This record gives sequence, C-alpha cells and structure tokens, in this order.
Amino acid sequence: MKVQVRQEGFCTIVSIQGSADVGASAALRDAFLRAVDAGATRIVCDLSKTDFICSDALGVLITAYLKAHGRGGFVRLANPQKRLRELLATTRLDHLFDVFPDVACALKDA
Amino acid sequence: MPPSLPKEGRGPSVPSHPTETPDAAGPRRREACWTEEVLPTRLTAIRESERKVLARLAALGYGEDHCFAVRLAFEEALINAMKHGNRMDPSRQVRLAYRISPDRVELRVADEGAGFRPECVPDPTVDENLQRPCGRGVMLMRSYMDEVIYSANGTEVRMVKYRASPVRGFPKSGRRC
Repeated sequence: MKVQVRQEGFCTIVSIQGSADVGASAALRDAFLRAVDAGATRIVCDLSKTDFICSDALGVLITAYLKAHGRGGFVRLANPQKRLRELLATTRLDHLFDVFPDVACALKDA
Repeated sequence: MPPSLPKEGRGPSVPSHPTETPDAAGPRRREACWTEEVLPTRLTAIRESERKVLARLAALGYGEDHCFAVRLAFEEALINAMKHGNRMDPSRQVRLAYRISPDRVELRVADEGAGFRPECVPDPTVDENLQRPCGRGVMLMRSYMDEVIYSANGTEVRMVKYRASPVRGFPKSGRRC
C-alpha cells in the first residue's frame, strides 16, 4: 500500500493505492494522524486505486472522521471501486461518510 | 500448547511448520488437503499465510470477487483471534487450517483466549454504532462467507465460501441477545 497526502486549497487529499490490509493499517493510521495533527479538518480520501480495505483500516477512516468532525470538518470518500462500494454498503458506512464519484466532486463546496 | 481445531480438521500432530494432512472424508475429495499452520500472535504474521491462500485461489481460477471475500474473512478471523482472543499476548498462538478445493474454500481459526459469544457482539450496522472504529469483523465474516460457525466457547471459527455462491457481501449481523 502507498499513501500520498497532498493539499488542494483548504482540503487535504489522502490517496490510498493498493491494499489497506492489516499489515498496512498502521501506516494508514500514521498518515491520517499526521494530517489531523497538522490541522487538517477537511479531508478527502481518494479510493480510486484502493483494491482492498480491512476492518482495521475502516477503523482508521472512522477515527479520522471523528477527529475532523469534532473540529467542524469532514472526511469524504472519493471514487471507491465496485468491491469497496459494496463493502461500504455492507457495513452501512456509506451512511456515515459522504461518498463522491471523484475527488473533484468531493472538493466542491468544501 | 497451540489451540485445538474442530476434530474434523485436526492432523495427527500439532505442526510447528505448515503441513498438509489427508482429507478424512475419503477418496471422494482426495484432491483437497488441509493445510495447517501455527501462527505467533503478531499481526504481521498474517500476510504470509494470506499470500499462500490467495495464490492457491488464483491457481484454481477463483475470481477476484471470491478472492476479495475470502481475503476479508481470513484477515478478520485472524485479527479477531490475535487482538480479541489472545489479546496480543506473544506467549499465545493462533492455529490456522485451510482447505481450498475447486468448489469451496474452508478456513478454520482457533485462538487461546477465553472465548466469547458471537451472538452478543453489538450490531455495527445500526445507527448508534456506525461511529465505532471497531467491532465489524464478525459481521464482515458472516456477510462475505456462506457459513460461519463458532465453537461453543467461541475460541474457534469455521468458515466456508462456495464457488457457486453469490460473491458480494450483504449484512447478516443480526444481534440476538
């Protein structure tokens, strides 16, 4: 798994490439914590190149959501592929996160 | 001493390295053998076993949806065994067994913990639990596998995914107490 963090205006884009599996969730947690500790409150997670996500990694996204939401911000999910969309529906986390078809849409009104 | 698995899947001895044991069911399914491993309680130990399982699935021509489902359930079962069962105690072990046939994938995971009652795990899909960062493992296993059966004390789980079954997960959490 590769995590890239970049800034677009007031928003922080976290892109996850590959598998967010149990062996990668610690690195994912570090990336999100660093972003949040640096003051990020408007976070878009680009899932367009994410092929797998375990419950540990889902927990990282939820923790980031709670931190950002607590400061008046958000964590939005962009472009999850078919199996991840189904996973979000199965867990009903698509009721917690706003899910957008791509990063550009997620950045609108941000 | 490593935890036991259901009798059906036990080999002649506790292996310290991966071993394959003949199928007790007899010649009808002689091609499929159980592979048994004893893992240390260390999350990074999961990947190597997972790689072997996925390689065998690919060799038998299972599709990506089935591989995703099995991988998810495999990880969740082992994470649960290490985190919640063995409580990350490095002196405890997790016993894993898997048998991958052309028509089904069978997984067994046993920990050395105190056990639990899976039917009492709070439903993570209800609104009041959506913000909880953990507690989705059992629900995901039930959603993505066709059979998920716990031993009476909850220290062992047996799961089956049939090749002919639908591939996508759907909520099957159903808290019952």
